[in-house]
Parts: sequence; structure tokens; C-alpha cells
Amino acid sequence: MTYYLTTLLVYAAVDILACLAISLQFGVSGIVNFSFIIFQAAGAYTAAVLSLPRDTANGGFQTYILGLNLSFPLPWIAATLVGALLAPPIGLVVLRRLRSDYQAIAMLVLSVIASLVVTNTPAFLDGAAGLSLVPQPLSDKFNPYSDAYLWAYTAGALVLAVIVFLIVQRIINSPYGRSLRAMRENEVAAKALGKNAVAMKMSVFVVGGAIAGLSGAILVGFITTWAPSTWLYPETLILFAAVIVGGRGNNYGAVLGALLVPVGFEEATRYLPTFGPPGLIPALEWVCIGGLILGFLWFRPRGVLPERRRVFAARTKRVEATEPHAG
Amino acid sequence: MPVETEAMAATPAAGSQPAGERPLLVASHVSRHFEGVRAVEDVSIDVLPRRITGLIGPNGAGKSTFLAVLAGTLPASSGTIIFDGDDVTALPAFRRARRGLVRTFQLPSEFAQLTVLENLLAAAPANRGDSLRGALLGKRYWRADENRLVEQARVLLDRFRMSAKESDYASSLSGGQKRLVEIMRALMLQPRVLLLDEPMSGVHPSIVGEIADYCESLRDGGLTILMVEHELHMIERMCNPVIVMAQGSVIGQGTMTALRQQREIVDAYLVG
Repeated sequence: MTYYLTTLLVYAAVDILACLAISLQFGVSGIVNFSFIIFQAAGAYTAAVLSLPRDTANGGFQTYILGLNLSFPLPWIAATLVGALLAPPIGLVVLRRLRSDYQAIAMLVLSVIASLVVTNTPAFLDGAAGLSLVPQPLSDKFNPYSDAYLWAYTAGALVLAVIVFLIVQRIINSPYGRSLRAMRENEVAAKALGKNAVAMKMSVFVVGGAIAGLSGAILVGFITTWAPSTWLYPETLILFAAVIVGGRGNNYGAVLGALLVPVGFEEATRYLPTFGPPGLIPALEWVCIGGLILGFLWFRPRGVLPERRRVFAARTKRVEATEPHAG
Repeated sequence: MPVETEAMAATPAAGSQPAGERPLLVASHVSRHFEGVRAVEDVSIDVLPRRITGLIGPNGAGKSTFLAVLAGTLPASSGTIIFDGDDVTALPAFRRARRGLVRTFQLPSEFAQLTVLENLLAAAPANRGDSLRGALLGKRYWRADENRLVEQARVLLDRFRMSAKESDYASSLSGGQKRLVEIMRALMLQPRVLLLDEPMSGVHPSIVGEIADYCESLRDGGLTILMVEHELHMIERMCNPVIVMAQGSVIGQGTMTALRQQREIVDAYLVG
């Protein structure tokens, strides 16, 4: 029971982190980052190859680069940095010249390419088989199978989710967040008002990438395995569905969406009685995810918890009105 | 080829300035082509300070494209744009805006899901919280700037009689109110040259006069305006000089009174 609950909560923390990043990029800034899962994967792979010993260890049944056997928290810090550093090269290609709809297509293609490249270069990150036996953080000091470790890991993941929540909250409630929302509403007008849209997009791309990298590190540290099948491009669509359902541009909506869709929805369907040919239920899950996105975009496009209206406190002293010139 | 007239000197209008004044914005031989379509072809104009310069012409004359090229929203295919003595041709729109060359748009371009006050604040420069670093440093770091700019925006809202709409989403405003928000938003940048693209189009007649009043008030306050507009009676009332474009080129300039007497211009645009 402890393992089930802690697994559920760690997944919740990871999905909350991912949804916060997508909410910042897509909900607040209007960037349709369909390559989001790449950033999470980059974080997970980074944390894995920095935690793992040389690939000749464990009988050499898997091949991968590095294998530095670094101790916690270095792999997680590196994962966050790699997620952030991956953003500029992708951003420079995709965000500078392309219109937002083409950006979305380019990022989707990038996601597919990345998956194919990793799958077909086994010497890099062990190809389709993926990495396994990834050492858990501090597993040399504590028993990673104990209940206490599982709960401590869960608590750590949730604390990190709270910290990231507060950071993203700080961004979106600031004048910079307002500029990001202005860019989302009308990029051409925002540029004409002095906003450097490329730099703004790049900044949220980097922040989102860092959060995604961290989320990947947390996940791989818990499940101890990572393979291309865990980060196929449809995973990004589930996270987008979560943000659309929860409420774009509202961090509370992102958290709610993360709990309702990737965690709640997938858990609920797990208990469905088996029927039909093999693979029918997972296929129906995808149909339902698609239906959720379409249904919300059609009937409640701003989600369950819409972006809140910012009302400023009334002025403390009356400012003298200037009468318009009579002409 | 542009048809120069002596009408500017011959028919002074309200707000006219002494001859020989240095133009604030100069476009020289500016062209903009779209894959063979010559939307703007070899246009040269001077925009004099503290005047409202009108830019008129039939639909498809290239006026809005020219305005977009001046503001940097579209790059020029050739030619140079000098703003306050500096060549800004290669600068992107946001850098020109920061220098004080600010435009509005032909179609409503409000930030729909931002409130009216937020629309104004989003345009305000010099807010320490308007950067990722500033945002991360927290409210204490930028609160003073924000409060100052909120007051500044509220003064504008008072002036344009829009205070009651401060907390409404911009998407909920009427066409005329959206135009006013756009103008106020541009004014938050404290521009030196304001490029207005059909500010009276699709606006209720009662607000047309109001917008004209505001524009004249801004001019009298020292602002330089270049305005594309089809409301010729308003152009006649406010603008001196008026530049006429047709088929991507300037075909004349002067006061409206003088332009009405030129056959080529009347045939091209002013018939009826």
C-alpha cells in the first residue's frame, strides 16, 4: 500500500511540475511546445547517466555514455541545467522565425526525431531497451526499499513541486507575466509596444526546460528505469490535456489538471473490467484524452479554474483628471 | 513620382510650424515587395514634429504596409528610415518602439484577455518587474514602479474617460473603446512619433469626433502623429500636410484644400 501511495504521489509531483512548466509556456506565453517531453527525457537521461556507474559495471548488459556515479544531488542539479540548456538551441531554431502554429508542428517533429535518434543509437543511451538499475538518490546511505525512504522521497518530490509552484507563481503575477500574457494575446502588437518577443519566449522556454529536466530526474530516481517508450510524443499531449482541463495560465488549474488527467484519469481507467481485444482499453484511453481536449476547448476553453482577472486596488488619492483638448 | 505642391506654405492650418523645421521621421525611397507584388514603391516622405500628418489613398494603396515598414513590423525591401537623425531601417519593431516610434493597428489589436488597465500597463516601459530577473526577485523589487505606472495609466484613463472600464476585459469593449485603449496603450510608451492606422475605422460617429479631439490635444501637447485615415473631413480638420498614396506610391502632398484641386489626385481617390 505504501508503495502504491508513494508511487501515486511521486507521479503527481512529477506531473504537477510538468503541467506548471506547460502552463507557463503554453497557458501564459502562448508557446505550443509539443516537444516538451524531450526536456523531461533529457533530465531523466542526464540524472541516470550521472548516477549510474560505468556501463561495464552490472555485467555490461547496457551501454551508455558517461556513467559518472555521482552522488545526489548533483545528478538532479545537472538534469535541471541540461533541461534549461537544451532550450536555447531548440528555441533558436523554432521560436525565432516561425509562426506559432508552425512552431507547434516543428516541435512535434523534433520530439519524434529525438525519440528515433535515441532508439537507433544504442551506444548513446542504450537504445530502445533504455537504462535500468539507475541508483536511487542516497541509496548508498539508506535502504531505498524501506517505507521511510519511500515517504521521504515522496515528501522531497512534493516539496520541490511546491517550490516550483511558488517560482512560477512569482513569474506570472509579475509585470513580466503580464507582458508574457500580452505576447500570447497579440504578439505583433506586443512587439510594436517594445516587447522583445523572441527573448521573452526564450526565457520561458529555458525556465520550462529546467522544470521539465528536474521532473525527469525525480521520476527516473524513483522508477530507476528510463527508455524511449516512456517519453513518446503522445505523453506531451496528455500534459497539454491536463493544462487545458485544469485551466490555462492558472497555476492552480495546472495542479488540478495534473491531478485529474495524468494521475486521476489514468488511475481510474486502470480499474475498468477487461473487455474487447488486447489493446482496446489503452486505445480508448487515448480516445478519451482527445475527447477531453476537444470537449473543453469547445465548451469550457478556459478550463475548470480559468486564469483570474487582475483587478488593481482602488487609488488611494484622487488623481486630477485632464480634460481632453477641445480642438 | 510624387507630385509636390506648394499648398503647405500657401494654406496654413491649425498647428502648422515654421518652414524649414527638421523632420522627426524621414523615409527615403522606401519599397516593400511581397514576392513580386510592389505594395510600396519608392516612397519618400518627411514627418514634421508637432503636426498631424495625414496619409490617405484608396484601399490597396499601400498605406498600412508603409506604416508597418516605418514601425518595423515589416522590414523594408529597400530604402532608409531615419528617426530623429538615426537610421532605424535595420532595427526590429520593438527597438523602434523603445526609441519612441510607436504604431497602432488597422484591425483592433487589444490584448483581449487582459483588463483595460493591464493593456496600458503591459505597454509601460521602465518597470523593474518586467524582466525574468525582476519577476524572480519578487514584488518588493518592483512594487514602487508598478504603483507609479498604475497611477500614470489611471491618469490616461481619466483623460480618455475610460476609468469606469478599468477592470473590464479589453475583449468586452466596443470598437471605439478598443481604439481608445490602443491609443492610450501607445501613449504609455511616451512616444515621440505616433503612427495611427485608421483610428476611426469601424468606430461609432460619436467617438470619431472624440478621437479627433484627443489627437489634436496630443499634437498640441507636442506629439508628432502620422495618421492613415479614410474619414476625409477629419483629415481635413486635423492634418497638415496630407500625403496621398495610390498603387504603392506617393502621388501628392499638401493641404486637403490644395489636394482637392489636383486632377490626378481627385481621379485617383477623391472622386465622390
